[in-house]
Amino acid sequence: MKKIILVTIGLLVMGGSITAQDSKPAKTQFMVRGYGHAGLDYYKTPDGKELSFVGAAFAPIFLFKQGNRFMFEAELEFELQKNELEIGLEYANLMYVINKYLMVRAGKFLLPFGTFMERLHPAWINRLSSKPLGFGHDGIAPASDIGVELRGAAPIGGTNINYSVYVTNGPRLKDGSEEPDEAGMLNFQNYIDNNNNKFVGARVGYLPLYNSSMEVGASFYTGKPGDRGSEYKDVTAFLWALDFSFVKQISPIKGVVDIKAQYNQTKVSDAYYPAGEENRDSTGFYTFNNLSRAYYAQVTYRPSMACPTILKNLEIIGRYSQLNTPEGSKWESNVNEITIGLNYWISWRQVIKINYAFINGEGGHGAEEDAGKQKSNTLFVHWAIGL
Amino acid sequence: MKKLVFIFIIAISVTALALVASSCTSQREIAARKSGAELWAQNCIRCHNIPSPPSYTDVQWETIGLHMRERANMTDEQIKKIVAFLQTAN
Repeated sequence: MKKIILVTIGLLVMGGSITAQDSKPAKTQFMVRGYGHAGLDYYKTPDGKELSFVGAAFAPIFLFKQGNRFMFEAELEFELQKNELEIGLEYANLMYVINKYLMVRAGKFLLPFGTFMERLHPAWINRLSSKPLGFGHDGIAPASDIGVELRGAAPIGGTNINYSVYVTNGPRLKDGSEEPDEAGMLNFQNYIDNNNNKFVGARVGYLPLYNSSMEVGASFYTGKPGDRGSEYKDVTAFLWALDFSFVKQISPIKGVVDIKAQYNQTKVSDAYYPAGEENRDSTGFYTFNNLSRAYYAQVTYRPSMACPTILKNLEIIGRYSQLNTPEGSKWESNVNEITIGLNYWISWRQVIKINYAFINGEGGHGAEEDAGKQKSNTLFVHWAIGL
Repeated sequence: MKKLVFIFIIAISVTALALVASSCTSQREIAARKSGAELWAQNCIRCHNIPSPPSYTDVQWETIGLHMRERANMTDEQIKKIVAFLQTAN
């Protein structure tokens, strides 16, 4: 652990020393960017209340550029979790520009499955302190994986299209042998390939307006997630997503309107999972329609053309998100969240977020035996900075 | 759910209209003539606030430009114009 921290500090110092010599540009450039955040959370649930300082999260991004076509980039994530310093490798990939319309990436990269996890999740970009339900590392859709990708963008008339196609190791199907309550789930944190089948995915985004204010996108990701040689080796998974974005400064309302939405659906083909002792019938197995959905819609308004400066820096946000996991599974849940927020932008990359989230629903792990209600109200006060 | 479907139906309708409109020569010409400043104002804001040019040096903007071309999947021409603008305005 100490070695990792020392190496990271070394890289940060090296980044600073190299960028300080910018007066004489070199073909090899190294830069450290990233983001961090900290805050205060107040939870109110039927079981009680909790007030706690949280965060102290730091995510440095290392960019190594060689010439105009090659780059290596990596992001680390440092976060305190239950008195332990957790370190994660968000991505680490090589990238090469093939021509004006195409580039190739290889390594661990953020997957363009929709846009939230690839473009919008960093704390200084995400307008709210939390991710939508079903999005993120524990979500029903992938965030990152190891593989290779071709991506690019091109103008079409006065509009633009962007595209990507990729092959990765893919997630692993949880068969319930380790965690019976999670049988049928896809584990997207599985970076060691568990079979010879690779997942294939793609996304196409189209910006139909000449001012690029709107983007609509469609993505899919499919393959076989079962362990090689197991009875689940022929199980297939098909995931798809639709995303929408509209961002524009509108003079009559003296501000910028930002609308974002994404719908994710995950379907795993039918399979039989071992039932727990308490639910064992004559076969000893059970099955269910393994279909999960998660979506969010968010609207943001910032009066950027208002006269008093303090108003220009304020932003109001509303977001609705919902997560539905398979009926009949032991992780069945139907939960929705409404979050409202008021942000104050200290600079273009530094924000104080005050958000209030209402979560309602039922289910979760062990839903069959404990179909508990999920109800909580949370106040977040977070300070985030892009570096 | 119904609201989201409604939003996507609207989005697809607008897309179809825009596809027809994109055949218009004047729109193509307007897009081609866009300056780096216009592209900077219109594209960066799609994900985050518009960055302030003095935040980084010329060399750093080149590195960030390549990173953003990949991350935001922008065209080669857009990134070149935006980086050139940021390097003159910083």
